[in-house]
Amino acid sequence: MAYDLEEQEQLAAVKGWWHDNGTRVLALVAAVVIGLSGWQYWRLWQGNQAQQAGAQYELLLKAAQAGDAKVLRDAGGTLVESFPGTLYASMGALVAARFHVERADPKNAKTQLQWVTDRSPSEELRDLARLRLAAVLMDEKALDEALALLETKHAAAFDAQYAALKGDILVAKNKAADAKVAYRLALEKTDEKSAAFRSSVQLRLDALGG
Amino acid sequence: MFDLVAKHKRILQVVLALTVVPFAFFGLESYTRSVGGAQDVATIDGAAITSREYADELRRQQDRLREVLGRGADVAALDTPELRLAILESMIAQRLVVMEVVRSRLVLSKEDVVASILATPEFQEGGKFSSERYMTYLRSRGMSDEGNVSRLRVEMPGGRLAGAISGSAFQPRAVVERLIALQTEKREVAEAFIGADQYLGRVKLDDARIKAYYDANLAEFKVPERVRAEYLVLSAEELGRSETATDAELKEAFDRQAGQLGVAEQRRASHILVATKAEAEKITAEARKAPQRFAELAKKHSQDPGSADKGGDLGMNAKGALAAQSLEDVIFSLKSGEISDPVQTEFGFHVLRVTAVQAGKSASFEELKKGLAAEIAKQKGATKFTQIADAFNNLVYEQSDSLKPAAERYKLKLAQSAWIARAPSPEQGLLGHPKLLGALFSPESIQQRRNTDAMEVAPGVLVAARVAEHQAETQRPLEQVRGEVERRLALREAAALAHKEGAEKLALLAKGGDAGLKWSAPRTVSRVDAQGMPAPALRKVMMTDAATLPAHAGVEAGDQGYAIYRVSKVIAGESKALAPGSEGLAMLDRQVGGEQVEAYIASLRARAKIEINRGNLEKK
Repeated sequence: MAYDLEEQEQLAAVKGWWHDNGTRVLALVAAVVIGLSGWQYWRLWQGNQAQQAGAQYELLLKAAQAGDAKVLRDAGGTLVESFPGTLYASMGALVAARFHVERADPKNAKTQLQWVTDRSPSEELRDLARLRLAAVLMDEKALDEALALLETKHAAAFDAQYAALKGDILVAKNKAADAKVAYRLALEKTDEKSAAFRSSVQLRLDALGG
Repeated sequence: MFDLVAKHKRILQVVLALTVVPFAFFGLESYTRSVGGAQDVATIDGAAITSREYADELRRQQDRLREVLGRGADVAALDTPELRLAILESMIAQRLVVMEVVRSRLVLSKEDVVASILATPEFQEGGKFSSERYMTYLRSRGMSDEGNVSRLRVEMPGGRLAGAISGSAFQPRAVVERLIALQTEKREVAEAFIGADQYLGRVKLDDARIKAYYDANLAEFKVPERVRAEYLVLSAEELGRSETATDAELKEAFDRQAGQLGVAEQRRASHILVATKAEAEKITAEARKAPQRFAELAKKHSQDPGSADKGGDLGMNAKGALAAQSLEDVIFSLKSGEISDPVQTEFGFHVLRVTAVQAGKSASFEELKKGLAAEIAKQKGATKFTQIADAFNNLVYEQSDSLKPAAERYKLKLAQSAWIARAPSPEQGLLGHPKLLGALFSPESIQQRRNTDAMEVAPGVLVAARVAEHQAETQRPLEQVRGEVERRLALREAAALAHKEGAEKLALLAKGGDAGLKWSAPRTVSRVDAQGMPAPALRKVMMTDAATLPAHAGVEAGDQGYAIYRVSKVIAGESKALAPGSEGLAMLDRQVGGEQVEAYIASLRARAKIEINRGNLEKK
């Protein structure tokens, strides 16, 4: 192939430029590619983690349904230790807590709920676990502790549930007037669609004379 | 000059390979980051619910409604803005959970989803996956396999997440006990009623008050807009009435159906099953010599364990009942008592004997003629209806200033309606169809007096109508409704007097006085057992402070009067714990679970930026 003079000059310029900058360009390309791969690898790894955690959660759920305390504890332990950052660990702990409540084992129920309250990546699940922790405390007659827990800041969507439980605890403390205020707040914070919740709270309020 | 590339070729290849494989994962992003457009019904954090997706869901919900309400239901009438919004809200709720699933990396792998589809009982037949069943399912929902799998990759974990929240909820046991105690608490209560009617005599009405009441309630004394309509009914049933069946048609229908309508011939046979032809021939000869010994021979020689003990009896069977066609053919060709030559089947060689023949009874033509004729006439009517429906419709539309041409062409009677209003009611008959009424009260019908379209108000019934006379909404003058106003006013005043009197007596009772009331016999009520007491009264009775007895409660009973209740006894409810695993407890926990999932979604919702495009939502 023959080049005319002008082309030869251009080629020389390109070669010169490549000689000066080629290494840098390739390094940059390599860096971008490595960065992307790393990121993809990280996602793959996370997907893999989620998959394993999902399998453990399924195991725990089946154990809860079958009443198998040992498998439930083992799967729950694996979730909490190996996959604490996945939502599955929180879901597993919530299911385990209910399992213990059903078997009148508040101590273990509290451990599970406390873990979700402290460690769950989901703000909603933390709020929910706290609400349930207060419910277990109420059944343990730790009324002041339960009340204090309900004072914790939480998402507005849980206001009605928190207020209703607060009313229940205040009734248990024989503070009817305060309980009425709490129940009224619970009613105020729900819309007409939650008919069952409203009528249940209304019943508890009526029992205090409305 | 590409020394560097050449030198590091290996490394670059590895790096490139690493990037290519996981690119598949980018696909998921599209679920949550679709480009918003003018066709969207809503966007959630930028991810759209498109008009198409919404229309699909709307149709699914309407199909479901149709299933629940039955075939005839006018689902289109239920297509209100409220219902549309409610459906969108549920889609948004589902989408919020799905987005949380993606955010939290709970998305399932394709392989996991496929494995769970394979294991779904709904898609199994005889313990194995049936692709036919799966395809039927996909078709019924208008989905592709791929679409279904990618949907399930997020919806299955979404269901898991929601299920984890609702399934792990519980009501504090102390609250459960309290709720049960409240529901079962009983109160003994007597009633004294102060009826409004006894105060009617004390009510004095003057013209000014009557006029004031009339003026304040003008809307209640209106005659709604109404029309008198003339209309044509084209019905398949009516068309069928003038049809007759020809003898040839009757004969053909009879021949087609006689087989199903009569009773088929049945035959009872016995058989002897042996392994070889020689043996069979020997038995045949023996049996023919002494047919009465056939049963004995069967017992002795037959290798059919099912029938040998019964003397070879196969029972009474019509054609088609026996598994072996070749045996059946022989049985139906023998005379009663006759013994067959050996017949070979896969089991061996059979010797057959027919022991009884019960002749079939075919239905007689005369018996069926009337029913068949009616059936044929009906079918002809239906056919004719479909043939002329379009032409009828066109004629009514083209000659829109009169129904007479259509009446003459199709020999229909032009019917006249009574005055009817726009709101559908049963006495409107065929005209009481919401769509037809809508057309009848449209400006085209009322101002231009055009025919309505012919509408199918029931299967096989077309109605076209036009307005013969129209009357706008009118206000009835006071003179005309004076009696009605007086009656209502008097009742209201009397009730007010009764309410006042009742409240005074209640106050008196609270102070321990004697109100001079006549009490009914006491009855025992609870929140779950009202004993016929109206709900507001029951609630008042149950919530009345019963610290000192008797306690009293008063309830206004509208225009009827005023009811006073005397609580004389309180029986505390059972404060017992429900057994773990009991249905009652499970129900309460389920309820709490539902509420908590709702709160959970509401919270996700509060954090998301949601825009609803009302215009697209209501577009049909």
